[in-house]
Amino acid sequence: MNGFIAFTKKELCESLRTYKLIILGIVFLLLGIMSPLTAKLMPELIGSFLPEGMTMSIAEPTAMDSWMQFFKNVPQIGLVVTVILFSAMISGELSRGTLVNVLTKGLCRSSVILAKFLAALLTFTAAYVLCFAACLGYTVLYWHDPVSLLPLAVFALWAFGILLIASLLLGGVLFRSGYGALLFTGGFTVCLFLLNFFPQVQKFSPLRLAADNVSLLSGELAASDFAIPFVICGLLLIVFLWAAVSLFNRKQI
Amino acid sequence: MDTLCIEGLTKKFGAHTVLDEISFTVPEHSVFGFLGQNGAGKTTTMKLILGLLKADGGQIRVLGEPVTYGQTKTNRLVGYLPDVPEFYGYMKPAEYLKLCGEIAGLSKKEIARRSEELLHLVGLEEARKKISGFSRGMKQRLGITQALLTRPKLLICDEPTSALDPVGRRELLNILHQVREQTTVLFSTHILSDAEQICDRIAVLHQGNLALCGELSRIKAQKSANALFVSFASAADVSELTASPYLLPYCSQIEVQGSCLTIRSTDIKPVQQAVLSALYGKGLFPLKMEIQEPTLEGIFMEAIQ
Repeated sequence: MNGFIAFTKKELCESLRTYKLIILGIVFLLLGIMSPLTAKLMPELIGSFLPEGMTMSIAEPTAMDSWMQFFKNVPQIGLVVTVILFSAMISGELSRGTLVNVLTKGLCRSSVILAKFLAALLTFTAAYVLCFAACLGYTVLYWHDPVSLLPLAVFALWAFGILLIASLLLGGVLFRSGYGALLFTGGFTVCLFLLNFFPQVQKFSPLRLAADNVSLLSGELAASDFAIPFVICGLLLIVFLWAAVSLFNRKQI
Repeated sequence: MDTLCIEGLTKKFGAHTVLDEISFTVPEHSVFGFLGQNGAGKTTTMKLILGLLKADGGQIRVLGEPVTYGQTKTNRLVGYLPDVPEFYGYMKPAEYLKLCGEIAGLSKKEIARRSEELLHLVGLEEARKKISGFSRGMKQRLGITQALLTRPKLLICDEPTSALDPVGRRELLNILHQVREQTTVLFSTHILSDAEQICDRIAVLHQGNLALCGELSRIKAQKSANALFVSFASAADVSELTASPYLLPYCSQIEVQGSCLTIRSTDIKPVQQAVLSALYGKGLFPLKMEIQEPTLEGIFMEAIQ
């Protein structure tokens, strides 16, 4: 336990001093501010691009448009930046040999994986909360109409982000290189997208947590439709972490 | 009691056998020199002792406890200095030692006291910058600090002197010599004079086997293939001496280098007698005449042939 706490502190210190936390914070903050702003300015933007004399009726933007932007920007930009930033979590340490000293001090190998997971989770959560808070603030400022089931939709996207972080850890242990980890997580996401072509799978796929959030807000999907994807996501998370720990236990360093 | 006991240790990388059933023991409070050419398997053996690599056969015991691969409990007894120690560059030395101390389960007070003591010992007490700005020599010093932090019963150093300047090397050897009171030292090197200065026992690893192992003084005594060295003012004197009938029985053991000659023999006394008779007979006067003791270098070269 001592080792786990000490190593988690080290990971958080690393996040801070290698500017991971700041980069992620700035990217997510920008996404949070941009989403309501684009929704607000969209009609004017489109209007200014239209040729003179042409008119187009565009519906007045609402809070819903702001959240649509949020659930488009965060998975497309935010999660990609997160995955790239955390891709070298394991491989960096293995290739530089920095783990040798701490492991020979008696640090449990599972602590390495779990501490890295916890620290990445905290860093990602901090950035995500910042993004959400900024988006919520501006959305409430511009529009006053309420959006139902928003907390669930936001939590779902967060859960998917955490799943990606766990897959990065497993990829890092499997392939030893940052590119390997990226490729593994990329491959995992592509597989989810391919499986989503089958309508029967869509109901179960954890991809729903990051892709169907707007349907949840608009009422096309009910909260109960997210139950199974949440369970599958949780199970996959446990499997990824378990596999990463047990493979890492057998790794020659 | 033996601090380290290795029995029948085997390690293969693919089809290549790096270690082939090697066995040796390191008694308590000794300084054990682990010699061998580059790629002989010194680092591999050390990593096996630390449970970082999986052995293909044999057993390793540290203070009687078996070493297990993966979850290595015996590491609490061991301090390790890798050949090129790597640190988290964004940390300062004291912060790094704090991390190591916390992982090892030392109290805050103990960590602070030990860190100060050891940083002073290696001369890094003034270094307050981040480790990323350290030279290789400074990293080596910090490496020995982290290895000694937990007061290990067995200190393993992988070529500790290879990156250091002559002054740093001298200091590091002194440190290793000092800590033998509290711990047992196993260190690998290919700088033979380093081993000769501080080791009481050595092992020579060659092609996966121990070519030689034991107390240095005893090995030296056994390998008393001594040599008689004679030097003259001119090469002409050398050829005149070698032509002497007294030296006929030894002509196959004579090596001539310019105005010097060396005669190797397991029994040096009759050689001395013959050379003195020859010198007297020919009326030659050497500049210098001495019996050469076996050096570690000689022993090493002989072992790996």
